[in-house]
Amino acid sequence: MRGTVPTLPHRRLARVPLLIALLTLTDVAVAHDQVGVPGGLASGFLHPLTGLDHLVAMVAVGLWGAQLGAPAIWVLPITFPLVMAFGGVLGVLGVPLPMPEVVIALSALVLGAVVAARLRLPFAAAAVVVGMFAIFHGHAHGTELPSAANPLSFGVGFVVATGLLHLCGIAIGTLSRSPAGGRVIQGLGVAIAALGCYFLLASLGGMR
Amino acid sequence: MRRLLGRRTCVAIAALLTAAGPADAHIVAARLGDFYAGALHPLTDLQDLVLWTALGLLAGSLGAAQGRWLVLVLPLGLLAGLFLGPVFGAGALGPVANAGMMVGLGLLLAAGIHIGTAPLCAIALGLALVRGAVNADGIGPETNRLLFAAGLACAGYAAITLTMALTLAFRRPDAGPSTAWRGIAIRACGSWIAAIGLMMGGFALAS
Repeated sequence: MRGTVPTLPHRRLARVPLLIALLTLTDVAVAHDQVGVPGGLASGFLHPLTGLDHLVAMVAVGLWGAQLGAPAIWVLPITFPLVMAFGGVLGVLGVPLPMPEVVIALSALVLGAVVAARLRLPFAAAAVVVGMFAIFHGHAHGTELPSAANPLSFGVGFVVATGLLHLCGIAIGTLSRSPAGGRVIQGLGVAIAALGCYFLLASLGGMR
Repeated sequence: MRRLLGRRTCVAIAALLTAAGPADAHIVAARLGDFYAGALHPLTDLQDLVLWTALGLLAGSLGAAQGRWLVLVLPLGLLAGLFLGPVFGAGALGPVANAGMMVGLGLLLAAGIHIGTAPLCAIALGLALVRGAVNADGIGPETNRLLFAAGLACAGYAAITLTMALTLAFRRPDAGPSTAWRGIAIRACGSWIAAIGLMMGGFALAS
């Protein structure tokens, strides 16, 4: 009665055509496709987030802005993306800047140190410091632009991610209104400065 | 009885299946499809999206009295650009011109400069003429130009009206100093738009 039921090896063999069909019908995986508008958006958005040296510097800028209070806290998110985009354009156009990796590492060290020390520079001096570092960060992003990405969507993703990092820093920086929160912010500044030290040593070691 | 009902049901299902025509849920294939093609064409282009949003933010931040003229100026400008663009070859305006418009609009927003109604309408008309001409590329030989133009104008009208209304509702300038951060947030958006334009211009010049 049950002689027609295939035995175990036959059952496995019966699945072979199905497997062949599934394998031949599969398409190319485009999980890391950086082409066109979606690719540009993704690569632009992830670019500032994937480099730890950039990320900590952006957050430190937000923290410092929150510590300094008005007008820095609102001038910062308005002017920083513009200055950074200007640096990005310099990078795209191939205009060289001196020792970009060292200055970027130095930015994390300096910005972390001023947050840790709760340094209250005059607004103009703070703007010059932050603006100079912004040009170098933008330059680094501009030179590393993936050639296949859509330029406009890359710019949209890049600027939005940078702005959100500043907002993150400013949001964390609002903790400084309370004494305990202020200590936490200063501790974050110490951590960022320590990371900056590491990046600086790494970049100086890479130069040799 | 049960068997009879089963047969009748089978016959009814078979009749329904054979009589069924193609679903026209997305009526792109129907005559009105060109209207939707015109309406959707600018919404699939980031340059239109960024520029229209920037214009809506600027008009909304200036207030309802100045911004309301754009409800007419933008759609009419888009129509004029759509029909005049191919004549003058304005569709070939490159990304540098679009980047320049983004930087200009973004800087006006970021700086919080209060411009009058006439300059605002002139900016909107210029932008609409350029974008209308660029959108003329979406018109094929078999496209109904009138329907396409109507779709484009409706999209422009809806986009500018909604963006201005949302900006006005968000800003709430009469609510006092407690809502001052809202104005700063809109100005920060302007700075982001200018930065995007700057980067796009740089990429366009480099390529």
